[in-house]
Amino acid sequence: MALIVLVLAVGIFSLSRYPLTMHTPQLEQHIPAICPVRTDPDSLSVYGRDWSTLYPARPSGIAFPETIEQVIALVHWANQQQMALVPSGGRTGLSGGATASQGELVVSFERMNQILNFDPVAASITCQPGVITQTLQDYAAERGWYYPVDFAARGSSQIGGNIATNAGGINVIRYGLTRNWISGLKVVTGRGELLDLNKGLIKNATGYDLRHLFIGSEGTLGFIVEATVQLTRPPQQPRVLVLAVPELADVMAVFTAFRQHLELSAFELFTANCMRHVVARGVPQPFAVSSDYYLLIEFESASDEPMDTALQLFEQLLEQGKVIDGVASESEAQAQALWQLREDITEATAVYQPYKNDIAVPVGQIVPFLQAANDLLSREYPDYEVLWFGHIGDGNLHIGVLKPAELDSSEFAQRCAAVTEQLAQLLAQFNGSISAEHGVGLTKKAYLSYTRSATEINYLRTLKQVFDPNGILNPGKIFD
Amino acid sequence: MKVMVPIKRVIDYNVNIRVKTDGSGVETANVKMSMNPFDEIAVEQAIRLKEAGQAEDIIAVSIGVAKCQETLRTALAMGADRAILVQTETPTEPLAVAKLLKALVAQEQPQLVILGKQAIDDDCNQTGQMLAALLGWAQGTFISALNLDGQTLEVTREVDGGLETLRLPAPAVLTVDLRLNQPRYASLPNIMKAKRKPLTTLTPDDLGVDISPRLTTLKVAEPPQRQAGIKVSSVAELVDKLRNEAKVIS
Repeated sequence: MALIVLVLAVGIFSLSRYPLTMHTPQLEQHIPAICPVRTDPDSLSVYGRDWSTLYPARPSGIAFPETIEQVIALVHWANQQQMALVPSGGRTGLSGGATASQGELVVSFERMNQILNFDPVAASITCQPGVITQTLQDYAAERGWYYPVDFAARGSSQIGGNIATNAGGINVIRYGLTRNWISGLKVVTGRGELLDLNKGLIKNATGYDLRHLFIGSEGTLGFIVEATVQLTRPPQQPRVLVLAVPELADVMAVFTAFRQHLELSAFELFTANCMRHVVARGVPQPFAVSSDYYLLIEFESASDEPMDTALQLFEQLLEQGKVIDGVASESEAQAQALWQLREDITEATAVYQPYKNDIAVPVGQIVPFLQAANDLLSREYPDYEVLWFGHIGDGNLHIGVLKPAELDSSEFAQRCAAVTEQLAQLLAQFNGSISAEHGVGLTKKAYLSYTRSATEINYLRTLKQVFDPNGILNPGKIFD
Repeated sequence: MKVMVPIKRVIDYNVNIRVKTDGSGVETANVKMSMNPFDEIAVEQAIRLKEAGQAEDIIAVSIGVAKCQETLRTALAMGADRAILVQTETPTEPLAVAKLLKALVAQEQPQLVILGKQAIDDDCNQTGQMLAALLGWAQGTFISALNLDGQTLEVTREVDGGLETLRLPAPAVLTVDLRLNQPRYASLPNIMKAKRKPLTTLTPDDLGVDISPRLTTLKVAEPPQRQAGIKVSSVAELVDKLRNEAKVIS
């Protein structure tokens, strides 16, 4: 058993091999005829990796297409040359999906960053893939609308990458994933063909909806070159509560009580040590009491009614001993400061180079799963600090294992990967997923079979063949 | 020691202010309103005095529309003991507010009035000083630290050259600056308790104060839009534009 674990642990760090040749010398000859290109070492190291820092950044170059025609030309060229292409947005991914470690040509969409059309009647925006998520949100807000997919990386991530990874984030409980907001998509397939999918239609019952194949495909089927995103009414005066919950077993009782009576826009969990790290960074501590678990709950409160309901629920839960304290935001500034307790966890703990798991189980299974996972992790990581936080209302939890300062990075990663194997087995028992919203990329590839059946993975491979027969698009990502 | 804390309900600091299309003022319909952030600091300071055993009774006071009750409830949830609303639909100016507060001081007999140095809506920065003058009390403005020793107050003020420390006798009016403290969150148990704390409503007439505005607003306009920058392709072009378009060099 130990041997098998070791082999698998090593497996995720050895990159897949694929039969593509290196063409570094020809880049400068060929690419400038198509679009701008860079091959300087600084650019290679920046554009060759995402926020997962496990893999070396070794692309051959970075192409910066400015039009759809240029993207098509790049894909045709890559097919002729057998050159692997890695799409690149804001590179804020955590699973290595945008990593280029084997001499690939990175295709950056940052120059395709124009908003093309705003349609107030359809409540939609059509834009290029390189538009930064926050730019899109702000553009909508200035016009009295709201793009509801939101997460901590909003200031760097791009809409094309959001679509390619079907990004989730903090408002999924109310608004769903990126998938729910894409009404039109233009993609260039691995064959270099342009598809104009769904064209902003709300209703379109004409057979297979290919749009949804590309959403979440992590750049392995086609490049997203234009998107139409839907907008909604902005939330009215969101109010944030943070509650102190002593027992893990009571977390979902609080969830059920609140969800039954209020339309929640967020329901987030974090543990006491997450709070400690964030408070150490200067974020104000909300309570005098301390507790093992904290919940952040957000709902609209344009009238007094939702807050009165929340107070009644709190009072009942307090009497039952399920919560021991709570605070409420009285202003937008306080709402933002309370959100920092949750959103700053990643940055506050980045110095410890955490090993990250992003898992999901059916919401109803959260408590039994967490108890089993807690047993597993405290047994396997007796001397590591483990952080639990995440979108628990969606059944999604992030587990961050902090690296002890004295431990070597690669040894730490190998030990964590071995535990991830056991965690993946546990997830399979609970019908869970080894990647809730971070994608598979490279980091979760070895565990894909715990969430997807062999038959299912075969269909995935067949689909890949259809759209990208030469395997030039982001090879080695999701599966080999 | 009894402490009075006047607080103002203002458009939330994080809201994008929009000017009404007819130029008569700013849009307040369906806009998030909150306690003036400087007044939040004043409430926090009063509560800290109480927690240190230096104040017994904290009275939060607000002047304005009925909805100001919400803001007063926030102060009560933070830890104020009771609240008074002087209800009026008339827009209030600093002198009118100072006169109303003077009347309330006569009624409640506090030894200390702590309030924000200014409100973030009109930025007047007048009420505290006017109140001190009307009462003939000592005043410590823009304070960033407070030490209370019996009936003597020692305050630190942030001035242009650095920090100035003053000693003043009670009774006094203090206006607070940003760095005095970090206001606490209202806890849910305290929000519930605040619903049962006493909140009295008066009118300007009850206090015998005429609050008719003395100022007339002629027009409210957006600040001019900042022009987008341009890119130049060469130093020569830059110098040319600086010389002939911007006319900042000769």
